[in-house]
Amino acid sequence: MIEVRNLHKSFGDLEVLKGIELSLDKGKVLVIIGPSGSGKSTLLRCFNLLEMPDEGQLKIGELALNFDKGRRPGTREVLALRKRTGMVFQSYNLFPHMTALENVMEAQVTVQKKSKEAARSRALELLDKVGLADKAGNYPHQLSGGQQQRVGIARAMAADPEVLLFDEPTSALDPELVGEVLKVMKRLASEGMTMVVVTHEMKFAADVADQIIMVDQGVIIEQGSPAEVLQHPNHPRAAAFLNILTQREI
Amino acid sequence: MDDRKIQIFMDSLLPLLKAGVAYTVPLTLISFALGLVLAILTALARLSKISVLKAAAGFYVWIIRGTPLLVQLFIIFYGLPSVGITLDPFIAAIIGFTLSVGAYGSEIVRAAIQSIPAGQWEAADSIGMTRTQALRRIIMPQAARVSVPPLANSFISLVKDTSLAASITYVEMFRKAQEITATTYEPLLLYSEVALIYLLFCTVLSALQHYLERRLARFSAR
Repeated sequence: MIEVRNLHKSFGDLEVLKGIELSLDKGKVLVIIGPSGSGKSTLLRCFNLLEMPDEGQLKIGELALNFDKGRRPGTREVLALRKRTGMVFQSYNLFPHMTALENVMEAQVTVQKKSKEAARSRALELLDKVGLADKAGNYPHQLSGGQQQRVGIARAMAADPEVLLFDEPTSALDPELVGEVLKVMKRLASEGMTMVVVTHEMKFAADVADQIIMVDQGVIIEQGSPAEVLQHPNHPRAAAFLNILTQREI
Repeated sequence: MDDRKIQIFMDSLLPLLKAGVAYTVPLTLISFALGLVLAILTALARLSKISVLKAAAGFYVWIIRGTPLLVQLFIIFYGLPSVGITLDPFIAAIIGFTLSVGAYGSEIVRAAIQSIPAGQWEAADSIGMTRTQALRRIIMPQAARVSVPPLANSFISLVKDTSLAASITYVEMFRKAQEITATTYEPLLLYSEVALIYLLFCTVLSALQHYLERRLARFSAR
């Protein structure tokens, strides 16, 4: 489903991604962990081209894109890729001038050109799935953080993407609201949604991930099943990072 | 105040109000509506990636903001005939005020667009929207809300600025007051009276602004 080959990305002189290689099968969950500033969010944002890679190959579903210095994919290719992905943001980024329902309808009506009736019934279905059918008429500022993020998940799924991307979806939430969002994500994973999740929630990673990668200083330093990466890290910096996280949980 | 002055005041009230409603108000409304369209186009041009558009818009704003409105009106009405373009005072005034609203308004609209958090653009991108769709559906509706107070301010300024059209022979409310003064020799009375009517107009507009802002506050708290 996802194939990444030799992906490079720099911001000015700073090389943030230094030749990332990974692949993920359909229906699997990939969790990306790593210290802050490691490049993990940048990597995720390359998957829907919010960041444009400088070099390498990216394949999502049937769509393969090549990046070279000085040559970038055209608008049509960028939009085609984005239609195959949905993204959930750390700070939700819901559209504040639209109700929860309208947020979830928007991509269907404006991008997919569905009829309003069809979009509404699909949106209600998705809001029901994330447990917010009764909040359809509320504006984002009338919802709690956890509720907003669940609307964000429904919005990301509205245009039937092949892959869902989560950029630290629970990092901005109050601790007591994290559970409701993780629960929804777990359910999606169990239903066979292909997901890439950047997170610091190690328990979620251990329970849900099929594959974990740890990114540090722009390279993948650990890659494998949760058991391999979380319990038997090979790289000393990986061990140190996991140690810090475990201590925090005590 | 003696009876004669009261009489002059009462006699002038209706002609002044008439001039206000028939000439000041249409001049204001038309200039503002056209100016707003120009302001949005100019703001988009200044934010566009096409450098020619960006430069042209920047040049226009630079010229209009850097020169007095009265001088601009004189150039349009008294100056252009020298190159064979003779304009009706009303048309000349519309052009002058539209250009002015367009330039100042474009800065308001540009600032409002730039005040929308980058996350909104990213969310629009992430659901597959084109730049135009993102602007129309996501960015502009939010920017419009942010622009209401400063644009209402411009509108109220414009009501008063239209008095400058008197100087290019357009008989709006202030010019009417000048005409009545010429026959009654009561400048203090007449100019105070016309000031009072401007104040009345602007007070009504402030109330409307307040109402509009409250309606748009429906979604807020960000």
